[in-house]
Amino acid sequence: MSAQVDLDEIVVKYRPVVSFKVKKSLGVRTPDWEDVVNEVITQVIEKVTKGEFRGESSIGTFIYTITSRRIIDHIRQKTKVLKGIPEPKALPDPCENAENRERARVLAEAIQQLKPKFKEVLNLYYYQELSREEVAARLGISPRRVSERINYAQKLLRKMIKP
Amino acid sequence: MKKCQYADQIDDYLLNRLEGAAKEQFEEHYFNCPDCFQAMEERDALISTIQSRGAWIFKQKPAAERRDWVPAWKRAVSSFTPRQWATVGAAALVFFFVVFGVLPRFQGQSPQFVLSDNEVVRGESLTLISPVIDVKSVPSTFEWQQLGEDVEYKIFVYNSELLWSASTKDTRIVVPEEVKSHMVAGQKYSWQVKAFSAKGALVAASSKVQFQISAGS
Repeated sequence: MSAQVDLDEIVVKYRPVVSFKVKKSLGVRTPDWEDVVNEVITQVIEKVTKGEFRGESSIGTFIYTITSRRIIDHIRQKTKVLKGIPEPKALPDPCENAENRERARVLAEAIQQLKPKFKEVLNLYYYQELSREEVAARLGISPRRVSERINYAQKLLRKMIKP
Repeated sequence: MKKCQYADQIDDYLLNRLEGAAKEQFEEHYFNCPDCFQAMEERDALISTIQSRGAWIFKQKPAAERRDWVPAWKRAVSSFTPRQWATVGAAALVFFFVVFGVLPRFQGQSPQFVLSDNEVVRGESLTLISPVIDVKSVPSTFEWQQLGEDVEYKIFVYNSELLWSASTKDTRIVVPEEVKSHMVAGQKYSWQVKAFSAKGALVAASSKVQFQISAGS
């Protein structure tokens, strides 16, 4: 017996989630990551239409499984095709389009306006990529305090860049 | 709102610090938890911006800071801790104690200044009495005001050059006949008196006064 799901809702709700997972797994510079996303969404619609989703797990887990398998297939396929062929030149980062660039610029300026104690923790943790414990030791605060500062900085930034 | 137990793993996932089963569990979770997915997207934007523009963000001074210029002393004062304020206060107390309490007791004698012949003392003045205007005949005496006790006066009489010079402790001096013989009618003369202390230091000097002996004398 197949579970009742709204296909339109699936597409609207899960396309961003699938896109995120695909980009994270393949890398944002992989030129055909959008093709992989489309293939995943198509497969999900087909399987749900055919009644293969029976509600034994959540729809999220069902889509996650399809996404993971498709990504593995894509990597295997690419590995076979690219064997012996020189590495292609990296394509321009698709995220660096005008809209994203503007968003990143606004965010970067907002980060600059933060108090030094917040900027310092963001610098050490995200830019220098020290561990939470290393950042805590460097600043003389507890690891828990590091997380609190980051979360508070995020909250401030959200307010600062609110349109 | 209760915080999701996976929320703490967002950073680790985005910074590639989750592996194996933990990574898969987290991924499966955000496929099922819209709140975590939203939080992760927001954090991903922050991390991407910092990693791509970190050099600019963390090495340049913010434009606002450059515009709102604050004097260095104001920044220093505003950054003082209570302990630093206490130190400044103590230092000020010591300074005032030394300047107004200790130093006056060790004041030495005032320095003595010795003037050259061309210098004029601007403190005490020496006033010449006679002759100060044109005279009808060759003056037989020169007279000036007394300056004090135990002062030696030295008089200088000039025409184009020094004609006569003499010293006395009196406030008038008689012109010797041989000097008078050199002073002729129609000629302009000037004279000056300098006062010296008992130790020989110049203590006052008059201005140079000019007089002329009338041509008819």
